[in-house]
Amino acid sequence: MTRMTRRLAPYAVAIGGATAVTALIGLLTSRTSASGLSAVYLLLVLWLGARWGRGPAVAGSVAAFLLYDYFFVPPVGTFAVRGPAELLELVVLLAVALVTSQLAASLRRAQSAAEALAADTRSLYELATAALRVPEVGTALSMVCERAERLRGVDRFAVIAIDFGQPVPLAGSHPTADEVHQALWSYENGRSIGIAIAEGAVKVMRTHTKADSNAYVPMTSGVALIALDQDHDDEVELQTLAALIGLAGLLLDRRRAALEAERARGFESSDRLKAAILSSLSHELKSPIASLRTGLTALTAPQAGLQPDQRELLIDLDRQAARLDHMVGDMLALSRLEAGVALDKEPHSFADLVGVAMRRLRAELKDHEVTLDIPDDLPPVEVDELQVGRVVSNLLENAVEWATPGGSVEVGAVARDDVLEAWVENQGPPIAPADLDRVFDTFWTRRARGSGLGLAICKRVVEAHGGAIRVENRRRGPRFTFTLPLARVPAEK
Amino acid sequence: MSGRVLVVDDEVEMQRALRTGLRYHDFDVKAVGTGEDALRETAGWRPDVILLDLGLPGMDGFATLRALRPMTRAGVIVVSVMPGEKDKVRALDAGADDYLVKPFGTEELVARIRAVLRRQADVPSGQPVLRFGDLQLDLARRLVSVEGRAIHLTPTEYELLRYLALHAGRPVTHTTLLRQVWGEYAVGDKYNTRYVVAQIRKKLGDDPANPRFIVNEPGVGYRLEA
Repeated sequence: MTRMTRRLAPYAVAIGGATAVTALIGLLTSRTSASGLSAVYLLLVLWLGARWGRGPAVAGSVAAFLLYDYFFVPPVGTFAVRGPAELLELVVLLAVALVTSQLAASLRRAQSAAEALAADTRSLYELATAALRVPEVGTALSMVCERAERLRGVDRFAVIAIDFGQPVPLAGSHPTADEVHQALWSYENGRSIGIAIAEGAVKVMRTHTKADSNAYVPMTSGVALIALDQDHDDEVELQTLAALIGLAGLLLDRRRAALEAERARGFESSDRLKAAILSSLSHELKSPIASLRTGLTALTAPQAGLQPDQRELLIDLDRQAARLDHMVGDMLALSRLEAGVALDKEPHSFADLVGVAMRRLRAELKDHEVTLDIPDDLPPVEVDELQVGRVVSNLLENAVEWATPGGSVEVGAVARDDVLEAWVENQGPPIAPADLDRVFDTFWTRRARGSGLGLAICKRVVEAHGGAIRVENRRRGPRFTFTLPLARVPAEK
Repeated sequence: MSGRVLVVDDEVEMQRALRTGLRYHDFDVKAVGTGEDALRETAGWRPDVILLDLGLPGMDGFATLRALRPMTRAGVIVVSVMPGEKDKVRALDAGADDYLVKPFGTEELVARIRAVLRRQADVPSGQPVLRFGDLQLDLARRLVSVEGRAIHLTPTEYELLRYLALHAGRPVTHTTLLRQVWGEYAVGDKYNTRYVVAQIRKKLGDDPANPRFIVNEPGVGYRLEA
């Protein structure tokens, strides 16, 4: 009833207004000179059109014409239209009514659209602020879903996060297994299903005709699942929907960043824990080995008075203890490298590093001729002396182990552009082609007794310095080649 | 050659192994398990060489070393499982004569002890001419020669070689060399010692990849082969 009243009120005002204007004109003028004042009706019609639109304006103009005709146009007291002048007056009144109301109506539509957009933007802004302030991303996403489902044309809005490849329904109504499957497909292929976002608005794809089928929009860290109903042609609402999808994407990114940071922290602390355990374990293992070696070697002294075969046995046992020590050392070194040990890089002469390694391996090298091909004017390398010393030692040890009895070993280096290329080669059998790729793998070894760590350590140290290591079979035997960065300071002042 | 060796190690097995091994090489050996006992025995028994483990319970190896140094001229060989290079440098700078990484064989240990004892015997004689294989240093006349051929060294090179020669057989840290040859202001610039050592090697005809005279102690410094 009240709605009816509200709808009819403008018409009542139009007719009442025309009557009032007629009375005003009647009061102000004599009957004969009224014709010029018909323009006052125009004001009324203009106002009606601007205020209420076409209907009341036309009603007002018709009422105005009839009243004007009846009271002021001769023959007064009749509705008769006599000449073309009166007819023209009627047409002008009607035309003005139509044009103004049309203009006013479109203005009003634009204004209400602008108001709606402003309201929408404000509410979106408030939602975004609130959602980003909520510490729990799931809660924030639920707020986004609720807001989206309030939009006209949106039946359902759900968010599925993809955590390290695993779909996790996070907010909105729970998706079925099938829907999760579809969402994953959309995510993995980076393709929207059903709708697309273009120019800041959601566009419904022409192929998406079935009203009950879902739409999927992939984002960097998840997928938005949206169900639209038929009534989805409102431009503003579709823009809002696009904004909400964007907001959901942002929230998912925030969640992923937190997850990844947590995961990295976990890895880091587990690496550090591993290194700490290994370090302590190595210490605990090395102490008894130290007692063993000191005790065993003590008894090999001639003063101990043992028989030659007994001494041989002790020397063998000591060698085993030394091997054990070496392996514990390798395991510790490798675990430290994997945990990301800090390199103490300084300019060093490569020849110095080779010299240290050769002294350390004097006993092992005594049956082999070692030829050095290291130019005197080789620029220094920017390396961690101890780590790279280990690389040279390990490669030399490996070369001696695989060299034919009495076979020679060659160590060389040459400067190329901004790197030093060094190699260790031994005379001996080639490495099986199938094994060439595997020699640097952790725990991979060509012999039953090796630890399989020496070359793995080499690879890690060289790579930690930004270099590369490779192996190839040369005519004489296998050659290991690696690169190291050259120091920026000149070798000589 | 024999001498008194004080073993400072908290592991009974290690004490027993060292006692047995060193006695077979005619050393007079005493073993203690703590830093406090080490100080007491050093004052009372007057050892020639102290074998000091850094990982002692209670008063640790470094504290013991610092307390020992002013009270004895005995050679100190620091022993440790997995010492970092910084630990080695710290021990040497605190007055240790040498370091040895556990595990080690008895022969290697005996060689180090003998080197320390030999140096102690050398010091009072104050020979004006030092010989290291083919290398000869005439300290009185500031002359250096290799295989009888005179070598011209700059004053800095000569000072560095002289310092290494006076401490032959011992590892000398970069810090010590910088302080002794250049002065306090130069401490920290290892590039100086590396550069000068490279120059000396070149003049002595020493191959850095296979040195006869000056040997690198990685992460620590240099040692002139005795």
